[in-house]
Amino acid sequence: MKSDMEKGVKKGLPGGVDFGAVLRTYGIVIGLMIIIVAAAVLEPTFLTKNNVLNILRNMIVTGLSALSMTYVFMLGMMDLSVGSIISLSGVVCVTLANKFVQTDAQDANTYPIILVAVLLGAVMGAVNGSIITLIKGRLGASFIITYGTQIVFSAIAMLYTGGNFIFGSYYKGTYAAFGKGLLPIWLFLVIAAMMQFILKSTKYGKSISFIGANRDCAYMSGLNVGKYIIITFIVSGICSALSGFYVTARIGSATPIQGNGYELNAIAACVVGGTSMQGGTGSVINTVIGVLVLTVLNNALNVLGIDSNSQLLFRGVIIILSVTLDMFNKKYAVKKG
Amino acid sequence: MEMRNITKAFPGVVALDNIDFCVEAGEVRSLCGENGAGKSTMMKILNGILQADSGAIMINGNPVKIENTQEAQKLGLSLIFQEFNLISTLSVAENIYLGKLTGGNNRLVNWKELQKKSARLIKELGCSIDVRRKVSELSPAEKQMVEIAKALAVESTIIAMDEPTSSLSTSEIKHLFTIIRRLKESGITVIYISHKLEEIFEICDSVTVMRDGKIIKTLKTADTNENELISMMVGRPMSMEFPKRVSDIGETVLKVNNLSGNGTVKNISFELHKGEVLGIAGLVGSGRTELVEMIFGAVRSDSGEILIKGKTARINSPRDGKAHSIGFITEDRKETGLALAYNIVENIVITKLEKVFKRGLYRKGDANRHVTTFIDSLNIKTSSLNQSLLNISGGNQQKIVIAKWLFSDAEILIMDEPTRGIDVGAKYAIYLLMNELVAQGKSIIMISSELPEVLGMSDRVLVINDGRMKGELTGDDINSEKVMSVALMQA
Repeated sequence: MKSDMEKGVKKGLPGGVDFGAVLRTYGIVIGLMIIIVAAAVLEPTFLTKNNVLNILRNMIVTGLSALSMTYVFMLGMMDLSVGSIISLSGVVCVTLANKFVQTDAQDANTYPIILVAVLLGAVMGAVNGSIITLIKGRLGASFIITYGTQIVFSAIAMLYTGGNFIFGSYYKGTYAAFGKGLLPIWLFLVIAAMMQFILKSTKYGKSISFIGANRDCAYMSGLNVGKYIIITFIVSGICSALSGFYVTARIGSATPIQGNGYELNAIAACVVGGTSMQGGTGSVINTVIGVLVLTVLNNALNVLGIDSNSQLLFRGVIIILSVTLDMFNKKYAVKKG
Repeated sequence: MEMRNITKAFPGVVALDNIDFCVEAGEVRSLCGENGAGKSTMMKILNGILQADSGAIMINGNPVKIENTQEAQKLGLSLIFQEFNLISTLSVAENIYLGKLTGGNNRLVNWKELQKKSARLIKELGCSIDVRRKVSELSPAEKQMVEIAKALAVESTIIAMDEPTSSLSTSEIKHLFTIIRRLKESGITVIYISHKLEEIFEICDSVTVMRDGKIIKTLKTADTNENELISMMVGRPMSMEFPKRVSDIGETVLKVNNLSGNGTVKNISFELHKGEVLGIAGLVGSGRTELVEMIFGAVRSDSGEILIKGKTARINSPRDGKAHSIGFITEDRKETGLALAYNIVENIVITKLEKVFKRGLYRKGDANRHVTTFIDSLNIKTSSLNQSLLNISGGNQQKIVIAKWLFSDAEILIMDEPTRGIDVGAKYAIYLLMNELVAQGKSIIMISSELPEVLGMSDRVLVINDGRMKGELTGDDINSEKVMSVALMQA
């Protein structure tokens, strides 16, 4: 990407800038800016502190799953079960909190609950990863297998709750603090930074990228492909389970259908951020930008009072536009070669 | 057909520089030259896949414009790619008449008619392939026949074949040549692109040598010889000889006892020594690839044992093979040898990532330093460390595959078709490299479909047929007659 930029400058156009290259590289950031500026001009309340914090906190639910979805994408796979993992984790957290966090003295029990959510997510991720590894599955198989586990995990959440809404009876202290103020935003940014770092600078990150770029070659190079697939789906499960916990901390209740559709939001965020579904290329930072675009757009349309049906229209167009932009980028890269 | 003053430039490189090329009806013309000489670009222009920047194409004296493959087909031009361009999930008949499944104004497919027509074409080629079979079930040789039938179905008058024999056995090549002769008799022009010089002399009437986007010369094959062609291709005098080496063979590093499995490898035993090149001779499908894949762990064995330096080694995956210091240079660089979208550094360090990590963190400087050493010692030509491998020549790609196993500190290097699809100059460089590696005390097992290469490079040759070990040749016994007689010997 950087070299595109440099080339544009070197071409020495009058302004010294190749607009095509800028658009290809920073199109998504420019789009985000346009949405923000337009919304701020049309509706001054958009840029108030409260609304900005609101946007950032809203971003986290999709955001956590989208971070790990980036890993899954890098591997050249897909995880459709994240929505159900969010739901199941959410209902388990609230049920546990209703039992073990009932007085201020029990406030510290919040942490073991988070741990349970993490373990639960890890188990569900391990199930996904193990089945896919067992059948030596690729993108198509990951799609179908995680669609199957999505249904199974969702059914478990339904059976667990009897299909009912669960109200959090004690909703204050540490548990609630995870859904309020700046704390969740900072935590999210720390996790995102860590995940970007792991992807770019660790053996695990390098390995999953290589597997995504050419899995057969990775196998013949002596990489333990199965292990990396399982770990990646475990990461996906954990992130989604944390997202499930976060939702309950934010709203103080849980439903077994809470996470429905979030897998598609996470996928959309990755795609808008420019991570390729073919595996091997992508970045967590781009995904964060992708989540921001979708969340900001959503919020801006809300603030502007546009009804929810028209909102979907915008959302769809943005996703299509970003995929198109990505394809142009690739075509350009090939032509250049 | 005639191409005049054709020029085509890609960013940074002129692929074709003012080319004049013409062929006559019923001629078999070879097009040869090193990789990157411009052969493929020329064929792609002829078939409408690429458009020339300038110049003209004439057919029977009339200038034509070829904007896409459909137009090329209408003009009677067909190109058969090395990797084939068939839809593997469809039947032979459907592939042959792809795009013309319905004749005339019909909107429905007349399956009986379609099968009858395609069966007739297949029969004309002297083959017996059931046209209802799916292409995915066919052997490479049969696919080749389907491609030719496909070209005939559109009444092509010029058929270009890019490396048509790269995946065929000797008898299949013979059959292909019979067909080419038949095409020639019926007035069809064949443009035959190949690296294999002996084939060119066997089948072609004339040969056009290309180098660096220019046509060097067009000659009658009768008026030239292999060495002349090679020196024209590389631009300097060179002989086809294999580089000599003084072998210093040491102790046994690998011992295979009664290895069987996969239905393709039957009770094979042999030894490999330090500093030795062990050639494996056998046809495609003889079990030779499966045998070495079993030693590396990519294919499971059912019985038998593998000893590395005298110790029994349990090898169940390529990871185990690597841990026993075996490196595997696969026969398909693009599919299993390299991640072409990634750069040279990422491709080389992947075999032993721990070498470029310190306290769990990637050390880019270390990685670059290691790779730069390989670039120097193996003389790999690449413009930068960050460039993807997509646009690097086959010879350099192959060196990178070798480098990645040297990086893993492999002592035993298995090379499956190490010179497939690379040009003469690059082949020679690979041979020199092999000599250097064994001189450093590494051991090499080499498989090649090109018998002269196995004979020329090996200290010892194992002959394999039908999954069984047929014999072992050393010294003066290493010659093609001996290999054939041993291979065909009754057990």
